[in-house]
Amino acid sequence: MARPPSCWHCGEALTEGVVIHVQVAGATRPMCCQGCRAAAEWIEQLGLSDYYALRTAPAQTPAPEADNAAHDSWQRAENARHVIRDLGGDRRETLLLVEGVRCTACVWLIERSLGAMPGVESVQVNAVAQRARVIWRETATSLPQLLRGLARTGYRALPLDAHGLDDLRRRESRDALKRLLVAGFGAMQAMMYATAIYLGAAAALDASTRDLLRWLGLLVATPVVLYSARPFFAGAWRSLETRRVGMDVPVALAIAAVYAASVIEAVRGGGEVYFDSISMFVFFLLAGRYLEMRARHRARDLTDALARLTPPFADRQREDGTLQRVGIHELRVGDCVRVAEGGIVPADGVLLSERCRVDEALLSGESAPVTKRSGEPLIAGSVLENGPILVRIERTGADTTLAGIAALVGRAAAERPRLQMAGELAAGRFVTRVLALTALTAAIWAVVDPARAFSAAIAVLVISCPCAFALAVPAALTRALGALARRGVLVVKPDAIQALAECTHAIFDKTGTLTETTLSLADLHTFDGVSRHEALRMAATLARQSRHPVARAIAAADPGIEGVAMSDVATYSGLGVSAKIAGRVFRLGRSDFAVAGKPLAHEYEDAVLLADDDGPIAAFRVSERLRHDACAAIDALRAQGVTVLIASGDAPSKVASIAARLNVAWRARLLPADKLAWLKELRAQGARVLAVGDGVNDAPVLAGADLGVALAEGSELTQASSDIVLKGTRLDTIAYARDIAQRTLAIVRQNQRWALYYNFSAVPLAALGFVPPWLAALGMSLSSLGVILNALRIGRDSALRPASPASLEQAPAVACPRPAA
Amino acid sequence: MNILLLLIPLSLLFLAGAVWVFFWAVDNGQFDDLETPGLQPLDDSDKREAPLP
Repeated sequence: MARPPSCWHCGEALTEGVVIHVQVAGATRPMCCQGCRAAAEWIEQLGLSDYYALRTAPAQTPAPEADNAAHDSWQRAENARHVIRDLGGDRRETLLLVEGVRCTACVWLIERSLGAMPGVESVQVNAVAQRARVIWRETATSLPQLLRGLARTGYRALPLDAHGLDDLRRRESRDALKRLLVAGFGAMQAMMYATAIYLGAAAALDASTRDLLRWLGLLVATPVVLYSARPFFAGAWRSLETRRVGMDVPVALAIAAVYAASVIEAVRGGGEVYFDSISMFVFFLLAGRYLEMRARHRARDLTDALARLTPPFADRQREDGTLQRVGIHELRVGDCVRVAEGGIVPADGVLLSERCRVDEALLSGESAPVTKRSGEPLIAGSVLENGPILVRIERTGADTTLAGIAALVGRAAAERPRLQMAGELAAGRFVTRVLALTALTAAIWAVVDPARAFSAAIAVLVISCPCAFALAVPAALTRALGALARRGVLVVKPDAIQALAECTHAIFDKTGTLTETTLSLADLHTFDGVSRHEALRMAATLARQSRHPVARAIAAADPGIEGVAMSDVATYSGLGVSAKIAGRVFRLGRSDFAVAGKPLAHEYEDAVLLADDDGPIAAFRVSERLRHDACAAIDALRAQGVTVLIASGDAPSKVASIAARLNVAWRARLLPADKLAWLKELRAQGARVLAVGDGVNDAPVLAGADLGVALAEGSELTQASSDIVLKGTRLDTIAYARDIAQRTLAIVRQNQRWALYYNFSAVPLAALGFVPPWLAALGMSLSSLGVILNALRIGRDSALRPASPASLEQAPAVACPRPAA
Repeated sequence: MNILLLLIPLSLLFLAGAVWVFFWAVDNGQFDDLETPGLQPLDDSDKREAPLP
C-alpha cells in the first residue's frame, strides 16, 4: 500500500489543498502546517538539519503560538522563584520537562539549539526522563527566552519544581554504583587470594605466606563490608528500630558474623577465613539491588504525577473585566477565570459562559467530549474543545476532583495485599534457622571440644547461609528484569514478578488501553448511487473545517490530495458544518441538522450524515479502533488460563461492541470507586487480579490491584500508581511478561530446592566438623555458580517477535472504511 | 615467592587507582545518562558555532 503523503517534520497526513514546502538540507520537503514549517526552517537556519537524518521517530507537531503568553508569565519573579535555582553570581539552573522527546535525535537537536543561544552555559538532556537541565546567565537570557527557543524548534517545555527530588535520586544512583564497584573489585581480589590459599593447602604452602594472603584478604574485604554493605546494616537497623524482622536483618547478621569470625581467625592465625565468600555475597546482593533501582528510576522518570495535568497558570478576570495571569496556587474560591480554546481547566468550577464542549477523558475515561451548559460544573484537568469560556472557581488545590483521585490512589495502594512480605518472611525464617543451627553447633562443640567450636560453627554458617537463599532470588530477579526491559516492560516494583506469575484475572480498561486514543471511521453508506470515494471526499472537505473528534476521524479517513473550492463555511456547535461547494449547499453533522426535515431511514438517525438540500448523500459511523494487537494479547492471556474482563467508564453500547469482538465479559459506566468495588468483589472470591489501564480514572484500580500495569503513553498519575509500565503500546508483551515471571518463580523455587538439598547433606557434616574449610568454600562457590547459571536460562527462548522500532513504518492514522452493510 | 612482595602491592596500587578513577567518573556524571551520548559520534561535523539571526 502506498503511504499517503505526510509531513516531513511531524509525519501527520497532509491536508489537501494546503501546500507548504520548505528547503531542508538542499531538498524540498512538504509540511503539514505553519508550525512545522517554522520549526523546520528554524532547524535548517541553525544548521542542524542532520536531525532529520539521525532521528528514528517523527517529531511532535509544534504547539501553536498561543503559548507565548504562558512563556512570558515565567518572567514574574514570584512565578519563577520555585523553578529557578541560584548557582551564585548570575548563573541560574532550571530543570525542564520537555514534551515530545521521541528519540535520541531530539536530544541532539535540543542540546545544539539551546546551547547555541546566548547566555546558555550548558544543556544536558536525558531522553528517557524527558528532562533538560539548563544552566544559564540571568544577565544574558531569561527563562521565557529559553522556553521560546525550545518552542521554535517544536518542543513544549515545562519548568519543573523538582530540584530536591532529582538530586536525591542522582545521589542514590551514584552511591549504589560506587558500592557495587567496590564490592566487585573486592570480591575479585579476595577470590584471587583465597584461591592461592586453597591451592596452597594441597601443595603445602608455608604458614607465613598463607598468613600474608589472609591479611591481604582482610585488606580487600574490609571496604566491602564497611562501605559496600552499609545499606544492609542501615536497613537492618531501621527495621529493628520499628521492631520488624525484614530481609536485611538476617543478611546483616550473617555478613557481620562471618566477617567478624574471619577477622578473629586471621588475627589468631588458625581455622579458616571466608573473605572471598563474604565479598562475593555482598557483590551479588548489591548487583540485584542496583538493577532493581535502575528499573525503578527509569519508570519513575516517566512519571510526574499531576505536573502535566493542570496548567501552571490561569487567567483571572478582575472586577473591571481585564485579565491577570496568576500562578495556579494563587487562585481562590469565587475567582473568575478565563480558559482559552484548547486550554485546560485549572480548578473545579462552574461554567459562566453559555455553553462549551470539554474533553473529560482524563477523568471519566469517556472518549467523546461532553457538552456543558451555563451553571454546570467543570472539573480541573479537563480540556476545553471550543472556547473561550468563563469559569467561576469552586474548589482549588487539594479539594479538586483530580486531587481526590490522587488521594484514592494512595489509599488503595496502602490497602493492597503484601505478597512480597510472605517471601521475605520465608527467607527471614530460613536465615534465622541457620543462625540458630550455628549457635547450637557452637554450643555443642563448646562442651565436646572447645578448640573446634568456633571453626565448626563458622563452617555451618558459610556452607549454608550466603548462597543458599539470598543469591537465589536476586540472580533470577536480575535476569528477569533485564529480559523484560529489553521487551519494553519496565518493572517498577520488584515484587511485581511474583504477583504477575500468580494472577488469575486481568481487568482491562477500554478507552486508550484496548482501543486507540483517536476515533476512526468504521462504516460508510451512500444513498442514491453516489460513489463512496466522492462521498468521502466531500465529507472530508467539510470535516476539515471542524475540530470535533468525529470530524477529525472523517477527515483522516480521506487520503485525497485534490482540493475542493468552497465558500460560506459555517460551523454549528454541537450540530455540524455547512459550506457551499460548486453552488450547492452541503451539510455534514447530526441527522436532524444535516437532513433537516427530509425523509431518512430510521436506522441512520444516529449516524453522521452528509446531505444537500435534496436529501441525504451518505451516512458515516465513527467508532473507536481496537489496537492492532489487542486481540492477540487477550487470546494469549486466555491461553495461559487468565480470565479477562473489561471495566470501562464509557457507555454500555460502546463497551459491548468492543467486548463482543474480543469475546470477554464486561461492565460499563464504572467510576473509579466502582472499579475498585468490582476488584474487591473478585478478590473476595479468591482471585488475584492484574489491572491494565492508561487514564487517570484507572489509577486507583491499578494501585489497588494485586498488580497494576500502565501504558507509557498514558497519564503520569496512572504510571505512578502501577507496578509495571509498558513502553510503547504493545499489549501482547503482558502475556510474554507473565510467562517470564512464571519461569522466574519456577527457577527461584528450583534454586531454593537445590540449596536446601545441598544444605541437608552438607550442614550436618560441617556441624560434625568433617568438612575441611577448602571444601566448604568450594561448595559455596559451586552452588553459587549453579544458581547463577540456572538463572541465566530465564528469557533465553524468545516466545515473541522483537518489538518493532517506533512508528516510522506506520502510516499516520488512515482507516480504510469497510464495505457498507 | 619473594616476587609476591613486589607484585601484590603493585596490584593493590592498580586497584586503588582504578577505584579512584571510577569514583571520579561517577561523580562527574559519566554514568548518569548511558543512552544519549551513544548518538554523538554519528554527528561528524561540529556545528556549535551555528550563526544566530
